[in-house]
Parts: sequence; structure tokens; C-alpha cells
Amino acid sequence: MNGLSPEVLVTIVSIITSGIVIMVGVIVPETWEGKIATKAVEGIARQPEAAGELRTTMIIAMALVETGVIFQLLVVMILLFANPLITRFFGG
Amino acid sequence: MEIIEHPIVFYLLGIPVRDTVVYTWLVMAIVIIGVILIEKIKPNLLSTLLDAIIGIIGSVLDEDNLNPYIPLLGSLMVFIFFSSAASIIPGVKSPTSDINTTIALALIVFFAVHYYGIRKKGFIGYLREFATPIFLFPLEIISQFSRTISLALRLFGNILGGDLIFAIVFSIIPMFIPVAVAGLGLFTGILQAYVFTILASLYIGSAVAINEAESSKKESKKQIKQKRKELANERS
Repeated sequence: MNGLSPEVLVTIVSIITSGIVIMVGVIVPETWEGKIATKAVEGIARQPEAAGELRTTMIIAMALVETGVIFQLLVVMILLFANPLITRFFGG
Repeated sequence: MEIIEHPIVFYLLGIPVRDTVVYTWLVMAIVIIGVILIEKIKPNLLSTLLDAIIGIIGSVLDEDNLNPYIPLLGSLMVFIFFSSAASIIPGVKSPTSDINTTIALALIVFFAVHYYGIRKKGFIGYLREFATPIFLFPLEIISQFSRTISLALRLFGNILGGDLIFAIVFSIIPMFIPVAVAGLGLFTGILQAYVFTILASLYIGSAVAINEAESSKKESKKQIKQKRKELANERS
């Protein structure tokens, strides 16, 4: 790369990576959370008397799926705000 | 970013006190004063709220006597809700958007799970049940730690994400639109308080629950032996 210093290159790669990570990490888990909600609604429609139990189970399952989303959010935030690569290789 | 950094406010006996601690005190004061006020003005409302919390916890924790668990789980729920909602006050950061608070809460849950388990079954009994299929013992230990970490990071990430989105929207359009985003953040706070409490009570419930499959297996074996004996007696 002519004219680009290594710090700038690392920053550019970090920004592009975090964009891709956010994109994938929003599309995939949201799809599956939608499927969880679909199944729960189907179950409630079939058996309205089990609505309370189904809702609790649905929220627990959604929270467990959401954990992965939160992990990728943390990775993105580390890449953007506290990138360890820049400080390690280029001394801050 | 301003939101992520937590500056030192003052020194208490040489210990640095960060702004998270001050906001935690603020939330504690709000909760205590609110409870005292509600008790003086409308005592019925307090018992209704408590019944709602007990109902939520009782829907997951299958125990006859919920009394030992309500103080911990109920106060976790109330504290997380108020500290997540604290960011709608201008100039106040929610204490749960600092990872130290959420790790402390998750560690409280981690120790409480074992405390309740040992209290219910005794040390040896709890250990025996903890390592019942012995080849799953390492996996069980890993899951204990990983669920503590995920409990802390889930709360932290959700609340911090909500606050970050609010800050970004506020810096772009400072009129009317941020109100909707703040409402979304409030909803996230309620949901995360609910999820944290439900998961904590689920973990405590799994530590406290007496393994019925094992005991029923032993009983059925005894019954089969008795029947065989009876049959042998009849034949002779």
C-alpha cells in the first residue's frame, strides 16, 4: 500500500471487519429469534391455557440467543474504541 | 466516547470512587425513598408489586417455600430495573452500563446458587449431585463459569448498547426522536431485569432441585425386588 501508514491500515481493516460482524450478527440471530417467536405464537394459539409458561420459556430462549449478539457487539466495541492491535504493534 | 469512560469522582480514604458508584448510591436512594413513600401513601400498592415479583419468580422456581429466595431475587430485579432506567435522567449514566457492576451482580448469583444448594442438601449431598455422571463433572464446572460470564456480559451489553444508540441518535437529531429511543431503552431495561432474575432463579432452582429420577429409579428397583420375593414366596 503506497502512502498508507500501518496504523491507518489496521484502523481501516478494523472498521470494515466491525461492519461485517455487525451485519452478520444482526441478520442471523434476528432470523432465529423470529423463528422462536413464531413457534411460541403457534403454541399459544394451539393451547391458550399454557400461554404463561410458553412466554417464560420463549423469553429465556431469546435471552440465550441474544447472548451471542451481545458478544459480537462487545467484539465490535473493542475493535472500534479500544483496539488492542494498534497499541500492541505501534505503541499507542 | 464519553459513555464508555468512567472518571474518578473523588477519593474516599485513599480509595478512588468512580462515577458508577455514585450513581449506584443515587439509585439506592431512589429505591429506598420510593418504597418508604409508597408504604406511607398506599400500602396496598406495595403488596401488589411484591405479589407480582413473587409470581414471576414462582413461575420458574418450583419450590414449596419461596421465602428464602425472595429477598435476593426480588432485590436483584428491582435494582437492575431502576439502574437500567436511571439513564433517562439527564446527566446520569446507568450503573449497569459499567461492566464492574454487572460482574458483581453475576458473582452474587454464582455464590448464591452454591449457598442455596449446600443449605438445602448439605455439603456432601450437593457435591454428590453436582458430579452425578462423573464424566460430566469438568463440563459442569465449565458451564458454571461460562454462565456467570454470560450473565454479566448480557446485561452489560444490552444496557450499554441502548445507551450508545441513544447517544448517537441524540447527537444527530436532538429533538423529539430521542424520546422514542429512550422508551426503547426503558423497555430493554425492564426486559433485562426480567431475564436476569428469571435466569438467576432458574440456576438456583436447578441447584436446589432434588434429583427425582435417581430416587425414583432406586424405588422402582426396590419394588421389583419385593415383587420377586413375593412371587418366590407364593411358589414355595
